Amino acid sequence: MEMIWRSGIKRKVSKIFSARLLRGLFSIVMFVVLWQVVVAIKVPYLANLPYPRDVAAGAVDATGSSTYWFGWGISLSRIFVGFMAAQLIGIPLGLAMGISRTFKDFTFPVFEMLRPVPPIAWIPLAILFWPTRELSIYFLVFIGAFFIIVINVIQGVSNISVSLKWAASSLGAGQRDIFWRILVPGSLPSIITGMTVGMGVTWNVLIAAEMIAGQGGLGRMTWEAYTNNNIPLIVVGMVSIGVAGYLCSMLVRWLGEKAMPWKRRF
Amino acid sequence: MYRRNGGNLLSSGDFGEVRIEDVSKVYEGGSGSQRVLDGCSFCIERGRLTVVMGPSGCGKTVLINLIAGYERPSTGRILIDGEPVTGPGSDRLVVFQETTLFPWMTVYNNVTFGCRVQGLSKGEIKDRAEHLLRKVGLYEFRDKYPGQLSGGMQRRAELARAMINDPKIMILDEPFRGLDAMTRQLMQEFYVGLFEEIGRTNLFVTHEIDEAVFLADRVVVMTFQPGRVKAEVEVDLPRPREFHMLASQRFMEIRQQVIELLYEEAAKAFASGSKAAYDLVGAIVARNGACKK
Repeated sequence: MEMIWRSGIKRKVSKIFSARLLRGLFSIVMFVVLWQVVVAIKVPYLANLPYPRDVAAGAVDATGSSTYWFGWGISLSRIFVGFMAAQLIGIPLGLAMGISRTFKDFTFPVFEMLRPVPPIAWIPLAILFWPTRELSIYFLVFIGAFFIIVINVIQGVSNISVSLKWAASSLGAGQRDIFWRILVPGSLPSIITGMTVGMGVTWNVLIAAEMIAGQGGLGRMTWEAYTNNNIPLIVVGMVSIGVAGYLCSMLVRWLGEKAMPWKRRF
Repeated sequence: MYRRNGGNLLSSGDFGEVRIEDVSKVYEGGSGSQRVLDGCSFCIERGRLTVVMGPSGCGKTVLINLIAGYERPSTGRILIDGEPVTGPGSDRLVVFQETTLFPWMTVYNNVTFGCRVQGLSKGEIKDRAEHLLRKVGLYEFRDKYPGQLSGGMQRRAELARAMINDPKIMILDEPFRGLDAMTRQLMQEFYVGLFEEIGRTNLFVTHEIDEAVFLADRVVVMTFQPGRVKAEVEVDLPRPREFHMLASQRFMEIRQQVIELLYEEAAKAFASGSKAAYDLVGAIVARNGACKK
């Protein structure tokens, strides 16, 4: 019994320290070493970089303070509100445009006119139009995700094979059944793709908006670190933003897997 | 109430008859119009298995879309028990060339789809579905998704989904295409067994000659572009059909007759450069040589 248990542990240990993982760790260690060397020998233009240990110290400081975590909370809540609003408005709109030719003819030209405008270009107008800074940031995050989700839903609906609709109607399904049981689940893979891509864009937009217009949030924290010439904190901010964006993408992917059990192989 | 094997859940025995009367279908395209079907007339008789054959490009799939009601004929009409077809209906069920199982539903939910949208009670659905799933050998796989099944299993799930509605007419458009030879043979046997047990009106489209003769009560041979009926061949092989019949004298004779009818049409298609027709001519030539000795 104990033997089995032990060999199990051994297998787990050898799995964790697989060759791939060791190579990955090696590349990270090499990166930190290179960073240390670059700062130590004062490579031109890069001499202002802090040492890795300064950044580590800054990270310890920051994560020990409540303002840092408050920044996380503010940024995440902005993403949540703007992103959810984009889904709640964008998914039904995309479905409507995908289903009704007439509705698409009326709405799509305007949509296509606005879509190429980079979300960041909306910042001045957003600040002018919305009564509070907070609302304008929500709006900008919304814009970041909105066009992407709509275009993906339209694509998703049009990608559903007509023979699936025929099959459904010859089995006796009415318009309502076809909508809820065929078109909605059939466009779900595209919806999830749109959400994944949109989540990436919203973080870009959020950080730009926070730096320009925001109060609080990870983007603002990083910008203020710059104005205070606190370079280790800038790096801490950058890494935090990266981690936050990654966690949000993971969440969307996880939700996608939960929502589409038929995508699993077994 | 139940036909043949009585007391089973497969069918109430209420089957239909389809009359195709002088049907033409013309598609208007950018480069002029294309006449796909031209004055097509034949009958899909009640309770019999009619096979439609012809080279690719003879309008078989269009014909199916017309009978199913997905498209309308340009001229002529299609009658089901005397009533003209005006649109899709649950009295006709189509099993398509490519799988049309809903990828996001389990096998069970796919099979019960027709019953669920028609609002049958859960208990009734369950009885019928489980009976059918056992019948097609997918009971153990009822919670799998279509993507997790083999090609043959997908086809069987599709047959079950079509049969649960107890349609008056079942229409199958090259349903076993793309299956490997062994699976295909097993599916043919399975399908013909189901047909013989239930006796539903069936229209089966294929371009495999052996498949056509093995399954059919009657083979309708279509011409190449535009499609019309070239000939109808009665297949008087006894039922139940079994695979040893493929070697029987009568089978060979009927097959030869069908091959000769098809050869001319396939050659026309071949001359027009259709890839599928090329394959068909190849197959015909190979078989012709083999059975003429």
